[in-house]
Amino acid sequence: MTNWRIMTVDDSAAILTIITAYLEDSEFDVVAAERDGRSAVKRFCEVKPDIVLLDLIMPGQSGVETLSRILAIDPDAFVVIVSSLGTEDAVHECLTTGARSFLQKPFTKDDFIEFMRELTKVA
Amino acid sequence: MGAMFFGQYLLSKGVIDGQALIDAIELQRKTNLSLTALAVRRGYLSEKQEEAVLLRYRTSDADLEVLCLESGMLDREQLEELLRIQRSDWVRIGSALVSGGHLTREEVVEQLAKFHDFQRDADRELEANFKSCRDPESVKTIVELAAFHLGRLSDRAIKLQSLSEDLGTLADGRRRYAQKLVGDRELFVVLDLPPAMAVAVAEGFIGMALEEGSESAIDAVCECVNIIGGNACTRLEASGLILRPEPPFSTEDHELGVDASSSIRAQVLAGEFEIDVRVFL
Repeated sequence: MTNWRIMTVDDSAAILTIITAYLEDSEFDVVAAERDGRSAVKRFCEVKPDIVLLDLIMPGQSGVETLSRILAIDPDAFVVIVSSLGTEDAVHECLTTGARSFLQKPFTKDDFIEFMRELTKVA
Repeated sequence: MGAMFFGQYLLSKGVIDGQALIDAIELQRKTNLSLTALAVRRGYLSEKQEEAVLLRYRTSDADLEVLCLESGMLDREQLEELLRIQRSDWVRIGSALVSGGHLTREEVVEQLAKFHDFQRDADRELEANFKSCRDPESVKTIVELAAFHLGRLSDRAIKLQSLSEDLGTLADGRRRYAQKLVGDRELFVVLDLPPAMAVAVAEGFIGMALEEGSESAIDAVCECVNIIGGNACTRLEASGLILRPEPPFSTEDHELGVDASSSIRAQVLAGEFEIDVRVFL
């Protein structure tokens, strides 16, 4: 079976590095890592990842805007929001916009891998 | 005078001199081993396993003991043995000062009693300061979250020293890491850190060595502020306060460059570092 192809989007290079390190030697391949919403939308069209891990709070185009644009291109896109903000308000907005799940930062490697494996059951 | 560690208290009272404190801390460093370091020494963990479990510890809110057990790296019997060794070998600062011949046992006992009174008064003063500052709930939530995350990531003991209102000027040689929270009200979460503390936090966060003042180190500390700010919004929602964070940023400017009518400054000891956690209101 081929690995799941993941695109990560976060304005923090540290988070992109951590996620890539956590997914090393797993059934997930990080095929693209972008630091802003606009580049993420463009890159999404090029790589067509299985799962997009998208930050919510980013300069310029926000996570919710980016989510909407990706879904406008591909309504079946599997986008998951990864954010330090876990208010009901924020989670509700993301899910009603079309995000499939929500993961709050910080997280451990074990929790993250478990979360990713749960996602694959529905992706 | 705000809260402090016992060694610092003895120094401030002139009971010991700086060299005595350095000697005692050095003895503690050599003798007091962390749970994972003890496990490596006993052959229960390899250095690589230790590194992996510590990385997980710094990026989670779980206890180190729980992580060691859950990951299967240690079994319960090994863990209990290690905790027993750790308890029996652990040298407190007072004992280290006695071992170094700087104080007698009786002097340590006498000073500890005074320190506990001092500590109790300092804690009461801090609590009163929290209650009397503007927007006490937001300030307390932010300061507590900052202390928790900074201590865990830098692997240093944290002690909140004092809380006061000031002009919010950034001290020389420090960098400011900040995030604006908007919504029901506007406020800024701010960390003023010396470079060595910033890099310790960044390395703890990302799990690799970084250069002081490098773009990667600054970015990692900004993400820590983002976690503190985002988590604060989540926690404050329970009190009916709706806030949302904006992207974090870093600056070396003496002013934050924003309109804020006051700065609440929490002076925090993080191991050997003095840092400021601020909330601009």
